[in-house]
Amino acid sequence: MSEAQWLDGNALAGTFHQWFGTELTDTPRGCQSCGAVSPVGAHRLYRGAGLVLRCPVCADVALQVASLPDRQVLRFAGTWCFEIAGSAQLAPTADGTL
Amino acid sequence: MWSFTIQGAVHRPVRWTWDEFRALASETFTVDIHCVTKWSKLETSWGGVSLDTLLDGMETEAQYVTAWSDGGYTTNLPLEDLSGGRAWVVHEYGGEPLEAEHGGPARLLVPHLYFWKSAKWVRGLTLTVDDEPGFWEAAGYHNYGDPWREQRYWSD
Amino acid sequence: MTTVEAVADESPRAKTITLDAPDWPGHIAGQHVDVRLTAEDGYQAERSYSIASAPEDTRLALTVERIEDGEVSAYLTEELRHGDELELRGPVGGHFTWNVDDGGPLLLLAGGSGLVPLMAMLRHRAAQSSRVDARLLLSIRSLEDTLYRDELAKLGSDQTTAVHYTITGAAPPGWTGFTGRLNTTMLQAFAPARDQRPRIFVCGPTAFVEHAADLLVELQYDTDTIRAERFGPTGG
Repeated sequence: MSEAQWLDGNALAGTFHQWFGTELTDTPRGCQSCGAVSPVGAHRLYRGAGLVLRCPVCADVALQVASLPDRQVLRFAGTWCFEIAGSAQLAPTADGTL
Repeated sequence: MWSFTIQGAVHRPVRWTWDEFRALASETFTVDIHCVTKWSKLETSWGGVSLDTLLDGMETEAQYVTAWSDGGYTTNLPLEDLSGGRAWVVHEYGGEPLEAEHGGPARLLVPHLYFWKSAKWVRGLTLTVDDEPGFWEAAGYHNYGDPWREQRYWSD
Repeated sequence: MTTVEAVADESPRAKTITLDAPDWPGHIAGQHVDVRLTAEDGYQAERSYSIASAPEDTRLALTVERIEDGEVSAYLTEELRHGDELELRGPVGGHFTWNVDDGGPLLLLAGGSGLVPLMAMLRHRAAQSSRVDARLLLSIRSLEDTLYRDELAKLGSDQTTAVHYTITGAAPPGWTGFTGRLNTTMLQAFAPARDQRPRIFVCGPTAFVEHAADLLVELQYDTDTIRAERFGPTGG
């Protein structure tokens, strides 16, 4: 029963698409511990009770996913920089509301 | 240097080096574990030291335990679940030394609880008065199993 | 949801599944799909498979290798029939992709069935009549296990494409190619030099990918130019 200890973040591509409607594996992530910037697809994906994605340089946690019966709980760490295509109106309106 | 420590709400922490740990009474036993492939059930054989042996003579008011591993992983369980011949620190699987991939050199094995309680690469136990959620428990796992599969399974 | 058009032998242990996917949005070479199987009792299993077909192909194709104890690969290679439906999500993956516009030279290192996404890249390159320098090394236990054998032989006879094998099991009599695990000597013999800044793609089981990456770093290839995709046996 030899199974690989971990896969890379590429394996999460479909799941990211499902959650966010966008590609995240080529997103650069800056690690909060070691400062290295690596693409999400190059991070290390481990399966435990849920999923854990770790920095490929220092192994600190980048993302923890808990799969509960009625929801997924995601905990991001570090700086993730990605773009969502399309425009959005974000300028405040005259009365100060968004 | 590998060591295993029991600390926390105890009068005196206890630590074993690898040689000391291996000198303790060890037993070989088999456990039925549901494989991730639902159609098969694996009879797995393990070798290790019972928690009854490791906790023998320890006085404590603690009711809970946090098991901790290399790399910061923690998991919590009631102290009671470690007693009565239901938990081990194992170092052998299928008659061979436990591979790193499967949690070696030593992991916690508590077959009657959810699989993430059987902490791989375990290095110690901290006895606590209150229940302190571990890595997965703090994320919401507690009495929940994996919604897509049966609750107990050997996932790796 | 897609419909199976054909399931054809690709090697003794692998099959190529051709699918009719009416809503397919198109893909980039290197991307994969997530296949989900649902049993009658609701039990589900999901696995990722690299797309074998080029973006230019009219049909979507996946190549699946039967893994021992692999519940999904067993079903896909032994039970799946023409007309069956197959639920898949994708295409996904933006990190491990190559398009002719990205340029080369291309250095492709494949371990066993790790060849699949790299083959999609080579097929795309051929469909675009690209003359980008492409060099593939396939690490395989035996030649019989090689996927796309005839196609690789044809590709290798082209001047701008080099196909090498290293056989890790028993080599056939008279074999003059590489044998054994990938090593720096092999890379130095056929790979583009580091100052050519080749685009490097490595795919296969984790052990192969780790080893290849270590060698590439040892030979001082720029890590920014190296993309890796690991298959666990979880690919089964």
